[in-house]
Amino acid sequence: MKLQITNNRELAFGIWQMDITGEFPYCKVQAGQFVHIQVGDGFNHVLRRPISIAEVDPKQQQLTIVYRVVGEGTKWLSQQNAGDFIDLLGPLGNGFCVEKCKRSLIVGGGIGIPPLYEQAKRLMEQGETLDIYLGFRTSEEVFWKERFDKLGNTQVYTEDGFIGKKGFVTEGIAHRLAADPNIWENVYACGPRGMLKAVQTLFAEIPIGGGVSLEERMACGVGACYGCTCKTTSEETRRICVDGPVFSWREVNLS
Amino acid sequence: MSIDMSVNFAGIQLKNPVMPASGCFGFGREYAKYYDLSALGAIVVKATTMKPRSGNPTPRVTEVWGGMLNSIGLANPGVDKVVAEELPWLQQFAIPIIVNVAGETIEEYCYVVERICQSGLAHGIELNVSCPNVHQGGLSFGVDTKVLSELLQEVRKVCTLPLIVKLSPNVTDITEIAKAAEATGADGLSLINTLVGMKIDIKTRKPVLARGIGGLSGPAIKPVAIRMVYQVAKTVHIPIIGIGGITSAEDVIAYVMAGATAVEVGTANFTNPYACPQIIEDLEHYMGKHGIRNLEEIRGCAL
Repeated sequence: MKLQITNNRELAFGIWQMDITGEFPYCKVQAGQFVHIQVGDGFNHVLRRPISIAEVDPKQQQLTIVYRVVGEGTKWLSQQNAGDFIDLLGPLGNGFCVEKCKRSLIVGGGIGIPPLYEQAKRLMEQGETLDIYLGFRTSEEVFWKERFDKLGNTQVYTEDGFIGKKGFVTEGIAHRLAADPNIWENVYACGPRGMLKAVQTLFAEIPIGGGVSLEERMACGVGACYGCTCKTTSEETRRICVDGPVFSWREVNLS
Repeated sequence: MSIDMSVNFAGIQLKNPVMPASGCFGFGREYAKYYDLSALGAIVVKATTMKPRSGNPTPRVTEVWGGMLNSIGLANPGVDKVVAEELPWLQQFAIPIIVNVAGETIEEYCYVVERICQSGLAHGIELNVSCPNVHQGGLSFGVDTKVLSELLQEVRKVCTLPLIVKLSPNVTDITEIAKAAEATGADGLSLINTLVGMKIDIKTRKPVLARGIGGLSGPAIKPVAIRMVYQVAKTVHIPIIGIGGITSAEDVIAYVMAGATAVEVGTANFTNPYACPQIIEDLEHYMGKHGIRNLEEIRGCAL
């Protein structure tokens, strides 16, 4: 389907926000789902780019994505202007569940942070207390800190330490767990595989709900090609595009 | 003027010459959410092996200029599940079903072909002797005329359906392999499978694909594929399915002019899930506009 861009701007170094409007099943979107975007004209780029949905506003008929410019496809995306149309498929995949509990942990790293925004918004709206840990490689890549501040207790970590604390989000989480292992009932995370694995390890002995969202290079995006697979703890194959991208913490093998 | 897009491929009657290529369309379930599969000329399902296969480590796919590389590694649920669940489900569309079969040994190929033929749920076999993404079997059967002939002689004994052999472009002379296939009982040929390629990530200084090498597909390989269809069409008397970089009705016409009877569309499905029905619709318009009543009028006219 063709949708119209209403806004496309750089939020932080190499990180862009695009707002899109048009006919789209906004009300059916689960946080953590993605859209598969055609880049370039015709068959210039044969593969679409999977980008997670950062925010959806059914009243305003608006969809927001946040993406990092890493290659030719995302560079093309960043060159599109308000008023231009883009072709996207979606919403695709399985998103986060919204189980009600008292207190949840949100852990995001880099360009894995955007889908957690919509999830945090939904959890906050149903009255949950949220502890939000966001990690960035450098301070110039920090984005949406103020937005997350409005949803819960937000801690930012950077590797250079100019903004937030210096170090990794897992250090802060480990510290909290040492004081109270059962502080969080649900944990929602998205980010680099190393960070996700570290979080999974921290909670290895602690029962938690929630989910973890994975990223992989995709081709079809609809489950047909078996390009983007991962393994479960019982060594079964799962397709990230349709069985995920969100999996339960106990199901997925992150190593 | 009435347009007749139908073709007969080795005894399989197709209402139009366009079918999705094996490996790019799963078993059809995913794309059935986008359109009615009965519009297709036929469906070629994912490579099926004796036992389930999970495939290679990821990353398995990456885009390159004019196409993509894949190293899926024949991931599939295995012939038991394909016969029990996938083929029965596909019957509802009333289109010919061609099952792509792969294996590591002659015995494995024969077992799978026999199971598919005995199921009564398929209309043709496409023998995959050209997958570059597995160590055992696959490509190793498709690059040596002697090895291929041995395989085909055994498969022919158990194959009661039209037998189509899918050829690899990763050979010195594809006409030699094509002749060997024709001489040992192939009813048709499909060509080409992917070209072996590689992409290096200059930041990590390593290949992008976890397995290093992968198969190149997409518009980039179209000139190579058309050249090979042309050469093979001049050499053999059995029909050819043209495969490689087809994105439009004009591409289909070019393949038919080079001698193909039908075509498979692969990578284009990823760019546009509606690629196949779009090409079929455009093909009818193209034929009407250019006074082509049926594809037989132009088949092999470039030879």
